[in-house]
Amino acid sequence: MTPAIAVRGLGKSFGARAVLHGVDLDVAAGELLGLVGPNGAGKSTLLRTLVGLLPPTSGAARVLGLDPQRDALAVRQRTSYLPGEAGVYTNLTGAQFLRFAASFHARQQPELRDRLLDGFRLPLRQKVRSYSAGMKQKLALVAALAPDVELYLLDEPDRALDASVRFFLRDVLRDLRAAGRTIVLSSHHLGEVEALAERLVFLLDGRFVADERLAAARQRLRQSPRVRLAPGQPLPAGAREQRREPDGTLVVETDGDPMAWLRQAPAGAIDSAEVGIPRLEDLYELLLQQQADGGHR
Amino acid sequence: MIAGKTFREIRWMALAYLLILELLAVPVILLWPDFYPDLQRSTLLRGIDIDWLQRVGVAVSDRNEEIAYTSYCALMLFFRSTNLVGIAAAVLFGTGLFAREREAQTFEFLLAKPVSRGRLLWAKWWPCALCATLPIFVVNLSAIPWSRRIDLDLPLEPLLLASLHAACFVLLFLTFTTWVSLRCRVQAHVAAITGAVAVVQIGIYLTQRIRPYSLFRLADFDWYGPLLAGNVRAAQMFDPFGGPGFTTWVLAGVALFYGLAWRDLRRAEP
Repeated sequence: MTPAIAVRGLGKSFGARAVLHGVDLDVAAGELLGLVGPNGAGKSTLLRTLVGLLPPTSGAARVLGLDPQRDALAVRQRTSYLPGEAGVYTNLTGAQFLRFAASFHARQQPELRDRLLDGFRLPLRQKVRSYSAGMKQKLALVAALAPDVELYLLDEPDRALDASVRFFLRDVLRDLRAAGRTIVLSSHHLGEVEALAERLVFLLDGRFVADERLAAARQRLRQSPRVRLAPGQPLPAGAREQRREPDGTLVVETDGDPMAWLRQAPAGAIDSAEVGIPRLEDLYELLLQQQADGGHR
Repeated sequence: MIAGKTFREIRWMALAYLLILELLAVPVILLWPDFYPDLQRSTLLRGIDIDWLQRVGVAVSDRNEEIAYTSYCALMLFFRSTNLVGIAAAVLFGTGLFAREREAQTFEFLLAKPVSRGRLLWAKWWPCALCATLPIFVVNLSAIPWSRRIDLDLPLEPLLLASLHAACFVLLFLTFTTWVSLRCRVQAHVAAITGAVAVVQIGIYLTQRIRPYSLFRLADFDWYGPLLAGNVRAAQMFDPFGGPGFTTWVLAGVALFYGLAWRDLRRAEP
């Protein structure tokens, strides 16, 4: 079966600045892939290259068996792309914008569109200029998800959305995937991507982080609870301070199981703690630190 | 759909442009009977030491009123109104075509759609072209019935030919602005560049020795006067070798800037 996406040695430079360093990626048809990485890691550049908006500097990409540069129109007919900066026409009403967006793809999914509109509760008769950032993002999402295509490339679809809407979107994407559609989404919300994606790839500095290295880093972060100490209380024994954040939160490294350490901590010493949920920022920091220390690639 | 959206965006501007052109045309026509005797008496234009202004002065005060009136229409309807308001409208329509998309961050949305870049350019350009040129024909043809109200005639065919040339000249500025709009990320920069080019061209036109190098030489009184008087035939408008062929040169400019815009849009990155 032809993979939905096959990328080999894909490199992209803007002048002297290399953004992608020969990345390889395979996405099977019907897969939901999460693409995470810090700002400037190359996520948007990769997605833009896949949809034929940017020519690669080196390497090659095949999307739905086609070359996104040579067969750009054919790729775009079978793909729906949500840009990271999801610009919408503010001089149109929501309904006009959706009609305009729908005019580009012959086949639409009216049920899905109605479901999204019900869930998002957008005032479609109002001009888009009166929408909040979240509403504009929802409108762009409806426009991107309504076309009946094989592949959805979504650059930060959860941008500016609150938690309840993210959960709703998660359900919609799961259903799309269950219907056999391929979805590649990038996000800053590691938890969201983890909960949704079958597979997660981490892009750092224009390169994919190897799965084993990522797993090790995440395991290490699971050992690093974030705690807020009660005023005047020292850090209980059995843990070392890794760093202190501006709001006073400590990220610590425990000798053993962090839950056991928390249970053994003197009563009242710790105001709050967060365990087992690695934050994307922490993951970036750890991976970057490892990269600087040992040249992990 | 892109063309429809472009049209919706400029329709009120286009209507305002039509009204302004008409409002500029009607009074000058209806006031001609009062104006003509003054022009005959006045030596102001004929006395200025600028050759083309002297030619204007001589033509509009000709003893034959029909000749004088035709020259006056060439001056007021074409050399003044079209060159001033038409070009302003063309710059206004073209400025936002692509720069506004970049400003509003909708450029990437548009480029990612299954529409070829060539079709995208055409769908954005032609509604502007239509809105920039149609009012020129409407207003200048309306000069025929207005002229009859003052018992004068404007010949249809020369009027159509002059309108055609004026429309092409306005298209030149629209297409240049479209190209600049593709190269700029901010609408204000497009307006500044095209405005500066127009001002420099006017400056060159008004400077005696370098006047032949101005674009406005292709659409001035010395061109519209003979054209409206019926002394230039359609074949001469388009023949760059045998006749003046000014219209062909203008159309060549349109084609050049359209080609540049197409090239730049094909290479454009979000």
